Amino acid sequence: MSQDHDRIEELLAGYVLLGLTGEDAIEADRLLSEHVPTCPMCRETMAGFQAIAGDLALAPDPAPPSELLLPRIRRALAEAPVGRRQRGAGRVVMVAGVAAFVGLAGLTLSFGSRATKAEDQRQRLVQTLNAMQQPGANPVSLTSGASNGGGLVEIAPPGTQRMYVFGTNVPAPAAGHAYQLWLGSAGTFVAVGSMFEPEEGGIVVIPFTVDLSRYDEILITEEVAGSTPSIPSEAHRWGAALAAAAAA
Amino acid sequence: MQQDDLLDLELQRRLSAGDRAAFEDLYRRFASAAYGLALRVTGQPVLAQEVVADAFLALWRAPEAYDPARGAFRTFFLSLVHHRAVDTVRREERLRKRGERASNLEPLHGEDVAEDVVEGTYLVQRRREVREALETLPPDQKRVLEMAYFGGYTQARIAEQLGIPVGTVKTRTLAAMRKLRRALYRED
Repeated sequence: MSQDHDRIEELLAGYVLLGLTGEDAIEADRLLSEHVPTCPMCRETMAGFQAIAGDLALAPDPAPPSELLLPRIRRALAEAPVGRRQRGAGRVVMVAGVAAFVGLAGLTLSFGSRATKAEDQRQRLVQTLNAMQQPGANPVSLTSGASNGGGLVEIAPPGTQRMYVFGTNVPAPAAGHAYQLWLGSAGTFVAVGSMFEPEEGGIVVIPFTVDLSRYDEILITEEVAGSTPSIPSEAHRWGAALAAAAAA
Repeated sequence: MQQDDLLDLELQRRLSAGDRAAFEDLYRRFASAAYGLALRVTGQPVLAQEVVADAFLALWRAPEAYDPARGAFRTFFLSLVHHRAVDTVRREERLRKRGERASNLEPLHGEDVAEDVVEGTYLVQRRREVREALETLPPDQKRVLEMAYFGGYTQARIAEQLGIPVGTVKTRTLAAMRKLRRALYRED
């Protein structure tokens, strides 16, 4: 095994144990989206480590939960239909429709915190379009609470944790505000990446990595620019169920 | 694939079609393992029940999140429980007062455990194999692994707690994972 693969294996071990932070976490995200899917050895390593993480869950003694727990879950189920069935039909941007954007000269896009160069931006748009064209990666509309919400879709290619939010005609946020992407579970959300604004034409492209076993919802909200919100505001949001999108 | 895994797969398939009975069968099969794990990680029964409830509700809302190509349903679901338990612990820093309790595998004081739990034969057998594999780890490797997995500590925090470089934590973690892989999957 090469020195690079030793380093990757070390990161993957930390990743499956949820132990990574800072630069290590960013590097692991990058590897999982770019290298691991194309490297048979790393895919095998990752699968093996994930299986071990699942096995470790068995090490503690089993313990019966309260008898009240199942009735409580039943009540919650009665109030919460299966996510993908409750998602409203929205406007879906077709692959053929967005493919024309690839060749636009001078196109600038919003990607979050890490992309700064135009070429990098263009490559990410190509990645997004490639993702959209993979079998099973049907774009799913994010439902907007506003009548002029623009067309935002989430794209989840099967077999990867890399996802994309793509949109056109996305309205600019109010003066002094910007948009923030959030991932959530059971009503609790964490902010992902830097705030962003749509570029010319209201275009937004945001690639991100998500662990679908941890998060099942996506939100985009309007926040005060430069702030560090800990919970999503109620302003001008789009939303969808993440896992449902992955399987839609 | 084990017989139990095949049954889980069938239950998950029915769950994807909205079969409530399949959901309850999965609850009966995994609630005790899930609660035992969540209790070990969070150290508090109330939080552990929250974690288990959230995990089962997430499963009901999005059963498609499980991809059979990626392994057994058991691995997927218990990993989901583990992730949520760790997230809970990290949100609730005050839980750190539970100290070393989460870093070993001895039963918690007063914890309602094992004897009256009915589990599939495979789970019981696999639990024994996992525990035996953990016992083969050198103490320093076992310590960092358990602090990460059952304590919810990041590698940086483990280094801080143990007074060792982060690089040493990484090295020990990888060594432990490699040993477990060899022990549990009979690799060379």
